[in-house]
Amino acid sequence: MTTDTTESDGARGSAGVGTDSATDPPNRITEQFENIKQTRRRRALGWLGLFVFLAFTTLQAFAATELLNPDARLETFRESLVGFFPITDYFGVIPFLDVGRYLEFIREGGLLYDPEIGGLLFQFPPNPADIYAFFFLELGIFQIFGEAGITLAMGFVGTILGFPFALVFGTLGSERVTPFPFNFIFRGTMSFIRAVPAIIWTLIFIPFLGLGPSSAAIAIAFDTIGNLGRLFVDELEEIEDGPIEAMRTTGASKPQIVFFGMLSQVRTAFIAWTLYIFEINVRIGVTVGVIGAGGLGYVLASQQNLLRFTNMMATLLAIFLLIISVELFSQRLRSRLRSDDVEMSIWELITGFPRRMADSMLK
Amino acid sequence: MTYIEVDGLTKRFGDTVALDDVSFEVPPGEFVIVLGVSGSGKSTLLRTLSGLLSPTEGEILIDGEPMIEPRPDVAMIFQQHNIIGDMTAYSNSLSGGVHRSGFLSSVLQLQDTEEKHRALDALDTVGLLEEAEQKARRMSGGQQQRVGIARALVQQPSVLLADEPVASLDPGSAQDVMEYLRTASDDRDLTTFCSLHQVNIARKFGHRFIGLRDGKKVFDGYRDELTIDVIDDLYGDIDTEGMFVSDDGDADAETDEVATT
Repeated sequence: MTTDTTESDGARGSAGVGTDSATDPPNRITEQFENIKQTRRRRALGWLGLFVFLAFTTLQAFAATELLNPDARLETFRESLVGFFPITDYFGVIPFLDVGRYLEFIREGGLLYDPEIGGLLFQFPPNPADIYAFFFLELGIFQIFGEAGITLAMGFVGTILGFPFALVFGTLGSERVTPFPFNFIFRGTMSFIRAVPAIIWTLIFIPFLGLGPSSAAIAIAFDTIGNLGRLFVDELEEIEDGPIEAMRTTGASKPQIVFFGMLSQVRTAFIAWTLYIFEINVRIGVTVGVIGAGGLGYVLASQQNLLRFTNMMATLLAIFLLIISVELFSQRLRSRLRSDDVEMSIWELITGFPRRMADSMLK
Repeated sequence: MTYIEVDGLTKRFGDTVALDDVSFEVPPGEFVIVLGVSGSGKSTLLRTLSGLLSPTEGEILIDGEPMIEPRPDVAMIFQQHNIIGDMTAYSNSLSGGVHRSGFLSSVLQLQDTEEKHRALDALDTVGLLEEAEQKARRMSGGQQQRVGIARALVQQPSVLLADEPVASLDPGSAQDVMEYLRTASDDRDLTTFCSLHQVNIARKFGHRFIGLRDGKKVFDGYRDELTIDVIDDLYGDIDTEGMFVSDDGDADAETDEVATT
């Protein structure tokens, strides 16, 4: 008890000292205050330096990109915008976007629907011979969607052809399957494939298969090996040791341990990643089309060359529709596969589209 | 006749000594329970017996052959079940016997009918024949552990190792799983090692008990030798008497016997 009182006395005493010297704070307080002031000043200087450096570097980059004295032609740009968004006067007075011209090109260019192939399927009364021809002679399931169908098929074929290789490379690239230095043979191969964008792979395959959807599909397949395989490797890092040990104790062979102990743990994840890559591959299908490989990308590029901006905008709308449909399909399927995946709303799908398009251009 | 012979087994992880000069011999068909607090070396002993870990010193002979790496005649059951959640109970059970078939036939489940009947028979042993087509992930903890037992049985082992098979289960499921384990072991004449830390369950199911403390074997004896003093010695100063009373009448009677001796 006695010690208690002395302690509280002491506390009161020191508090008293604090209030007394409020006008003239003790040395340790001023010292600490100076310390803080100096740290803040140093930090401010640091930020200023960084800002100046960034501004200076940005200036250099502007010079390199010729943005310092750009060859800007506002008038031409305005004209093209008018082309992009044609205006018509409803009832002769109310100006409005002429959607009809978009639809006209989408129909004429066969962007979303090929009437020649579709005609086999849709007729009244249905003709069994034509329906047989549609499915087995014309193989029209993709072609019925016109140019969009070609782009979609490029992404699809690329994913299907790339998947088995991605599976093999991804599995063998995992450190748990192949011991350390040797797994880098596979990881390195995948890194190399990733380092070259799909559009360049298309250029590489043109001498082999010619400029068209076939070389684009093979290029996308190649790209898939690099990207999907990498995702597989990452996924395999996450698995638990338990089932692997359990399979070891059953006396299973090494390939059986890999299949039952490891791959069966990541099956759902692998399917989900493959769907995600399929999504990206369709977008890449648009991009490689631009250099002449066919599909919507090719239509877009050729209309641009002809300076038909209205048609270009119509093609963009078709691309938008295709990508959104693929994404909706894949997102739904994936979120069903892994219940913990957060579902993307339709709004996010639409507003996030330009960024994802840009991302996949770089791949 | 000795079936399992452990001689001077020592296992070190860096500076930590997990097992320190442990030796014992087990005749075939015994149901051995390994007791000890967490960190006493129970898991290490079982994992070394299964071949998942190799001993630092000493030797393990099972059926006269040294245990260097996992082999089909020694099956293991894990605390965390370690079955494959994405596969059905039947596929999991079938995966215990993959060592008898090639890679493709095991992946595509093209094993012969005899093998598939064996998998179903094992599920029947653990009372899960009706649930054979269920995804393992959707099953309860107790059921998952029983699938684990079925997988071990399909392996057609002669030795069954169970590393705290009931530690993560509620008391009811724990009893069930231990019943099934004991039945399977008796029916198929398996030499069984089971590590536990519930003393009441241990007394109910075990023939023989091996007690570990700090990696050393401090007790080795049959049921009538497992007195409260031994338990106190193993688990330190805890209220072990409560554990005995909580058990059913059968075990209670035995506890009394032990107390009077």
